[in-house]
Amino acid sequence: MKVTVCIGSSCHLKGSRQIVEELQYLIAKNNLQDKVDLGGTFCMGRCQEGVCVTVDGKFHSLSPETTKQFFETEILPNA
Amino acid sequence: MNDLCADIGFRSLLKHDEELCGDHIEIVEQGENSQVIVLADGLGSGVKACILSTLTSKIISTMMAAQISLEECVATIAATLPVCSERQVAYSTFTIMRIVNNEYAEIIQYDNPMVILLRDGKNVEMPSTVTEIGGKTIYRSTIPLQENDIFIMMSDGCIHAGVGLSLNFGWERKDIISFMETLYDVGFTAKTLTTILLDECYKLYGGEPGDDTTVCVVRIRKREPMNLMIGPPANRDDVQKMESLFFSKEGKHIVCGGTTSSLAAEYLHKPLIPVLEFPDPDIPPIAKIEGVDLVTEGVITMNKVVQYAKDYLEDNESYKDWSYKRDGASQIARLLFEEATDINFFVGRAINPAHQNPNLPINFNIKMQLVSELTEALQKMGKRVKVSYF
Repeated sequence: MKVTVCIGSSCHLKGSRQIVEELQYLIAKNNLQDKVDLGGTFCMGRCQEGVCVTVDGKFHSLSPETTKQFFETEILPNA
Repeated sequence: MNDLCADIGFRSLLKHDEELCGDHIEIVEQGENSQVIVLADGLGSGVKACILSTLTSKIISTMMAAQISLEECVATIAATLPVCSERQVAYSTFTIMRIVNNEYAEIIQYDNPMVILLRDGKNVEMPSTVTEIGGKTIYRSTIPLQENDIFIMMSDGCIHAGVGLSLNFGWERKDIISFMETLYDVGFTAKTLTTILLDECYKLYGGEPGDDTTVCVVRIRKREPMNLMIGPPANRDDVQKMESLFFSKEGKHIVCGGTTSSLAAEYLHKPLIPVLEFPDPDIPPIAKIEGVDLVTEGVITMNKVVQYAKDYLEDNESYKDWSYKRDGASQIARLLFEEATDINFFVGRAINPAHQNPNLPINFNIKMQLVSELTEALQKMGKRVKVSYF
């Protein structure tokens, strides 16, 4: 599974660092390092909806507060 | 002509409880490869010394730059300086360094501590001749320049540092030499060497300098071109042109901005790989493209670089951050402030629609503003900057 977080200017200001760090932590905690490939990308061109995250190409809009829930519903069951 | 250039850095510490500096440094450019640097130390301290040293350095540098003989310069100063009512003398010491075509330096010294020359890591005493002009004993030396020469000009505040406090006779010239010799090989810029030397003086004075203390370091180095691209061109059809001009330039290449780096990656037919690490929580991560020396995010990173640049020109406090950190802004700062001498900016004027949101502190005007502020700061550091817009 490929999870990509936007680290462009706009998403950075909206908290993409916290999201990356939380996802890194959650992936490690659940021993999913072999199954989930977490990566970054520059601007996806949808800054208004940031922080932009894609899971195998499917778009999601996240904020640091919704990250845990996103992990539990989108990543954990499908990994 | 050779490919050397002079990296000049200077700063002063004020005498404790004084608001004005009694030392003054004046630099006059004579074309691209020659300059006249004058360090003057006025008699006494405060406003009187300030006026004396400012007048002295201004008069000498202007006259020297106009190729007027030293005798006439000194005579003019003697005739113009206001006479101190207490001491009945008009007096300001001076050190003049004239760099000609980056080929040789002419050094003229009157009553300041003798200029230190470090060459190949070791102190070299410059041969000098003594002339008497209007009762003043003046030392003159002419020395051909070599790459990595470091010249250190000082006011007597340096060699008096710590006198009666931590050191019996102050910080003697030979001790300053051995202190600076240890820093020779590190590759510090002139400004950083100046700061290190002054910080040491400040420490020896116990935080309360007993005299105005000034240091000017001149470092002879090779010219080093550097190219930085930020922003995609306003017209999409210009992408090829902008990229090919940028990548055909000699020197290192820095690419700033998400879209900008995607376009560069496309042009080079190499993947753009973001590095998901946050060495500084405030600065977005960098990325890698084969063939580009550094890839960073745009506006936020650049904003930090401008902050570092402004600080560098003032008290250089943030040196302890950007000198070693791995985030994009620190890396750009090291490349631009330390490594580069000639910088080419390639600025694209495309407006990022995603950034034109009133809730975001980033927009097109800010980007243009950052480029012009950075250009100005780099020019003040003595770099040659060329900006091309697309």
